[in-house]
Amino acid sequence: MYAQKSPEFTFNKKFITIKNDTKTSGNLYIYRGEIPKEELSNVNPILGKLIQEKTVLRFIPLIPFGWNQKYTLVYRDTVEYFELDTPEEYKHLSVKSIYPSAKILPSNLLKWYIQFSHPISETYVYDHIRFINAVGDTLSNATLSLENALISDNGKLLTIWVEPGRQKRDLIPNTLLGPVFENEKTYKLVVLKKLKDANGISMQQDFIHSFRITIADRVKPDINSWKIQFPIVNSKSRLLISCYESLDYGSTLNSVAIINAKEEKIDGNWQYTDHESTLSFTPLNPWKKGDYKILFDTYIEDLAGNNLDRLFDSEITDVKNTNHLSKEHKLKFSIK
Amino acid sequence: MKTLITFVLLLILSFLENPILANSSLKANFKTGDPGITSINSMTFGPEGILFIGDSKSAQIVAIDLSTHPKVDNSTVKINFLDILIADMLGTPIDQIQITDMVVNPENNNIYLSVHHSSGNALLFRVENNKLKKVSLDNISHSKTSLIDPVHKEAKDKRGRKLRKWAVADIKYTSGKVMLSGLSNKEFASTFRSVDFPFTDKQDYGSLEIYHAAHGQYETHAPIKAFIPTTIKGSSHIIAGYTCTPLVIFPMDNIKPGEHNKGRTIAELGSGNSPVDMVEIKNGGQRYLLIANSNRPLMKMEFTDLESYNGSLTSPVIKKGAAEGVDYVNLPYVNVQQLDKFGEAGFLIVQRESSGNLALKKGNSWWLEK
Repeated sequence: MYAQKSPEFTFNKKFITIKNDTKTSGNLYIYRGEIPKEELSNVNPILGKLIQEKTVLRFIPLIPFGWNQKYTLVYRDTVEYFELDTPEEYKHLSVKSIYPSAKILPSNLLKWYIQFSHPISETYVYDHIRFINAVGDTLSNATLSLENALISDNGKLLTIWVEPGRQKRDLIPNTLLGPVFENEKTYKLVVLKKLKDANGISMQQDFIHSFRITIADRVKPDINSWKIQFPIVNSKSRLLISCYESLDYGSTLNSVAIINAKEEKIDGNWQYTDHESTLSFTPLNPWKKGDYKILFDTYIEDLAGNNLDRLFDSEITDVKNTNHLSKEHKLKFSIK
Repeated sequence: MKTLITFVLLLILSFLENPILANSSLKANFKTGDPGITSINSMTFGPEGILFIGDSKSAQIVAIDLSTHPKVDNSTVKINFLDILIADMLGTPIDQIQITDMVVNPENNNIYLSVHHSSGNALLFRVENNKLKKVSLDNISHSKTSLIDPVHKEAKDKRGRKLRKWAVADIKYTSGKVMLSGLSNKEFASTFRSVDFPFTDKQDYGSLEIYHAAHGQYETHAPIKAFIPTTIKGSSHIIAGYTCTPLVIFPMDNIKPGEHNKGRTIAELGSGNSPVDMVEIKNGGQRYLLIANSNRPLMKMEFTDLESYNGSLTSPVIKKGAAEGVDYVNLPYVNVQQLDKFGEAGFLIVQRESSGNLALKKGNSWWLEK
């Protein structure tokens, strides 16, 4: 503490104010960390906006002040240090759910989705994700380490690609390193507790999810083999579609719709059950008699990246058949 | 008469100082305001000081006018401890910031760095006298276009919004077109877009595929990490670097919207590696391709070698980590995280040096001499 007489200041995450008036104005600088007075000239102050108000000088940092981060305040000849303690009631980041949720997965599994309780830090996300084998070794080159993490708009859902170059047969990483996962073996997906939320606060413990690998899935999902459990007329009963295999969470969400004979969309909520192998639709309004169609997006995938039109991993014999135009996928049903 | 001469001189001076700002047809649709940039994943300069920003989070390309930034002398540019400097300026731990790109305006050598903060803030900095100045993005002359995918006619408004996130990997400008490569969290494919500039509603989509002899057919579904538009044997081409790490060329004339387009693999740059940035530099009448990598040193390839290579790699490289195809030289720059052309014949890098120092500095042009 270097102040001869401490100025009166208050702070929170969004700003710091220091009591003054226009007659006693002076410059206010905030620095990251506890910086000794003699070293201040070597450090850059924090960017922000300085506003002179009637009785206070207000500094609004460009990025809100962080929890547990020490700061140095310099006002005229005064140097003060301050820190915002993490609130006691702070809800730490945790994993709410993980997809695929099934415990037995095909060896050519392509994607994982992790649903977090809060928005996560967007920097170096994939550095905190590990796959570990049964003896505790971390798998190398197991995921696609994207510079720009694939995070949902609300900041809570993270997509992880299992290294596609290894999962797809005959690509160079596959021929050199083999597939990431081996049949009949068990693995753990670990989210290290070092992963932080958007406020820069870490998780309290590692998240560990165990799973076992079975044979590769090299069959396209076929909607014609799916079984529909019809709802009851004049009720809000669920329509269930049993797919007999787990579907990819991300590509299936919002990729199915029901329309009536007038081509009007039926409003309601879709959910997954049975480890994402059953699609469940609950209408907002009671079902009416009539003919319906269920529309499926071509890009609905199974866990191995096989979509309704093509296998993820196959020889392409006709380039014209692989363009982006695809046929419609629909199932019809009637309620009587 | 004196007044008239003064007026004419002032008029000439005003044109000299700001020759294109007022009447540029490229900026005719620009308006001043907040373009709503929420992420800066990749950047590139077009003509007239226009910076193109690939914004994955807001699914948009934003063109901003930076021509008003003064010409600066960056001939002695060197910033040590760049990550610490940025963390200090943002008042945040170093692990909560990420430098997402670095570009140089070829018209005035201004250097720009884009930075993401863990809280979701995207920031743009300009280098001035080896210090960083924040570039305000909330009231800027700009034009933008959406990257939202078109949906099937019947699907429109029926299935709601898709859970699609798109990560822009690279963005480049050439001859009235902005081109982007990237990867979505849905299909694993080399999504490649070409967007007319000035922006219109028209966008072309396609995927650029690699010839892969193991199947005897065309291999698709791999994302392009870095690319450049260039000229090979007098005609326009794309040189694209893929993860793990084939280097592939595509004749521009052959790229058809909405289709898979076959490329020719001209080099394998070693497995376990991924290209980070690539630039073309002319020096002493020679053209060079520089490639920064995640797990290899900075590579230099001569265009004369590249143009004379008529083959196509058709079988996987057997020797682990080996490279094949067009010859290249490893330059003594490892851990290069950002790369751009600098001045007439130089290059600028952000490099994690062996001491741990993250440095923004010029590369030595000596390496680009015959």
